Amino acid sequence: MPHVNVAPDYEVLARVLRDPTTIDRLSPEAFSRALDAAQRARLLGWLVEQVRAGHVPAAPPEWLRDRLVTVDALTTGYERAVRWEIDRLRRAFLDTGQMWVLLKGAGYIAAGLPPGRGRRVADIDILVPRADLGRVEQILQDNGWEFPELNAYDNRYYREWMHELPPMVHRDRRSVVDVHHGILPRTSRLKPAPDRLLQQAETLGDGVRVLAPAHIVLHAAAHLFHDGEIAGAIRDLVDLDQLLRWFGRDERFWKRLVEETPAMDLARPLYYALRYSHRWFGTPVPDAVTAAMRTWAPPAPVRRLMDVLVDGAMMGTTGHSASASVFALYVRSHWLKMPPFLVVRHLLRKSLQRD
Amino acid sequence: MPSPSSPLACLATSGVQVAIGPFLVRVRSDLNGVHEYLHHLYGDFQVAAGEGGHFDIAVVSSRGVRRWVRPQANLVVNGERPFLPLPGKLAGAGFEWSLNWCVGNQAPRWVAVHAAVVERGGRALILSAESGAGKSTLCAALALNGWRLFSDEFALIDPDTGRLTPLPRPVSLKNASIEIIRGRGADVVFGPQGVDIEGARFVHMKPPVQSVRRGLEDARPAWVILPRWVTGRPTTLEPLPKAHALLRMTDQSFNYNHLGTKGFACVADLVRQCDCYTLEYSDLDDVLIRLESLASS
Repeated sequence: MPHVNVAPDYEVLARVLRDPTTIDRLSPEAFSRALDAAQRARLLGWLVEQVRAGHVPAAPPEWLRDRLVTVDALTTGYERAVRWEIDRLRRAFLDTGQMWVLLKGAGYIAAGLPPGRGRRVADIDILVPRADLGRVEQILQDNGWEFPELNAYDNRYYREWMHELPPMVHRDRRSVVDVHHGILPRTSRLKPAPDRLLQQAETLGDGVRVLAPAHIVLHAAAHLFHDGEIAGAIRDLVDLDQLLRWFGRDERFWKRLVEETPAMDLARPLYYALRYSHRWFGTPVPDAVTAAMRTWAPPAPVRRLMDVLVDGAMMGTTGHSASASVFALYVRSHWLKMPPFLVVRHLLRKSLQRD
Repeated sequence: MPSPSSPLACLATSGVQVAIGPFLVRVRSDLNGVHEYLHHLYGDFQVAAGEGGHFDIAVVSSRGVRRWVRPQANLVVNGERPFLPLPGKLAGAGFEWSLNWCVGNQAPRWVAVHAAVVERGGRALILSAESGAGKSTLCAALALNGWRLFSDEFALIDPDTGRLTPLPRPVSLKNASIEIIRGRGADVVFGPQGVDIEGARFVHMKPPVQSVRRGLEDARPAWVILPRWVTGRPTTLEPLPKAHALLRMTDQSFNYNHLGTKGFACVADLVRQCDCYTLEYSDLDDVLIRLESLASS
């Protein structure tokens, strides 16, 4: 009996990510598989940008030309949907005087940053002062966002241990807002200060706020190398590469980054971010920053283990070694988030809930 | 089973490309049910060995003991698995459902509205109805009575021309409509009968050969009709305000919002150039006469 191989082709995607000019030499079929893999990895917007820049297989057949129109429309639609949700939030907070800051994907789109182009964003993340949580909940509830039914355990997980409220869902549009009061869980060993993020946040033309550039990068690093479940590793690392290249054109950004990293207690995550972004995508990093990085590095055996785990996770979920890497990093992310007894209890609980 | 020289011989390896309306669909499957389904219902379509396409649909068996005990069909669409596995018997239908998902979610090159469409004299009649209201029954009956089967599930509007693009495919019939349509066409070919996840009996009717051969001939939208089968009701065709028709068409569209203003304008233009009606009926033959006189007026 033949076996039909249906796994997405992350290898062709990884090659294209490292060198977009290779698209020009791909067969239409291989490029089509790269589109599928990009959609799975939530990198379709990135790939469409390469197409817009002129990178397409030579002599594309009609079906591929239609697909290109389709993915262009899809990614434009993703971005439009996020802008709409941001605008709804802006209206909800209008005249309340409430401080709120867009984080991650929605922030990239609002600020017009490269990783925001054609980005598919599932949840809008916002940061608010911890003291204002009750007020923010009330404002959002008055404007149609609700808490879905949670069991007591999940509710406690969010309220006591996490850095965010349970997700709030809009009753008509089913869109999701995650309200954060920090960028790492309360139980985490690293303690980045949310006050610095709020104080240095930048206001855009329409009154919407986003983090300062150095904080955007630090948050992305914390998300990938501390907080996140690394399944989306490829996308997060592409984000970091794009952010560093974009902000890095201004020398003052690097100076601020080196100052803010220890102040935010995020030395190790940033070390990993710069290391793997450079290792995978050749992100340019100034010498002075590389020198500062040395003091943030982990011991050599840990670094070697991380190299293996991250490279495995980057190749997605193909094959056993990659899923083992993803699982190891998933456990690791909880290890960093919580004291050990909480990790064991939480993962046990989650595995029982899944069945 | 067809001979090894049939293009379907590649189904379980590199796959086949089936030309379905404007779409080139790559299909792969290691399940006999899919092979037989395509052989019987897609016999008039162009099928070739090949790897590319607008959509990549794989219907594959589960590995291990599930291959033999209560076999399953897993649906993988462009590398994603949008559905839970189906019982192996529903493998052929699973291909159709996957294709529906693709057209609804992955084809904003066209504005896709959930509707059946038939054509006569270059003019298209769009039937939009709630599930179970008899849309496919009416569509199949029209297709057996002088109308061209244009599409059973989707009105595909080309936003650049405002015209409708045909998508001839097998027509999905459920419950009592299976016997009604069987009784109306002696030489019509049907796929295997199954029971879907909601417990409804269903079959797929092979599309008429002329409909498949004319699968690239577009048409001008002329009528929007909202049909409803009501026991004992005499045929009642009443004008529908265009604003209502527009709300209905946008509500039934999978993707007009993906195209922003362009998508809305496209649906609005379609409604503007159509005569719009509601239709209630109980006598299928009477409806066929009424719609024929509408088309010749």
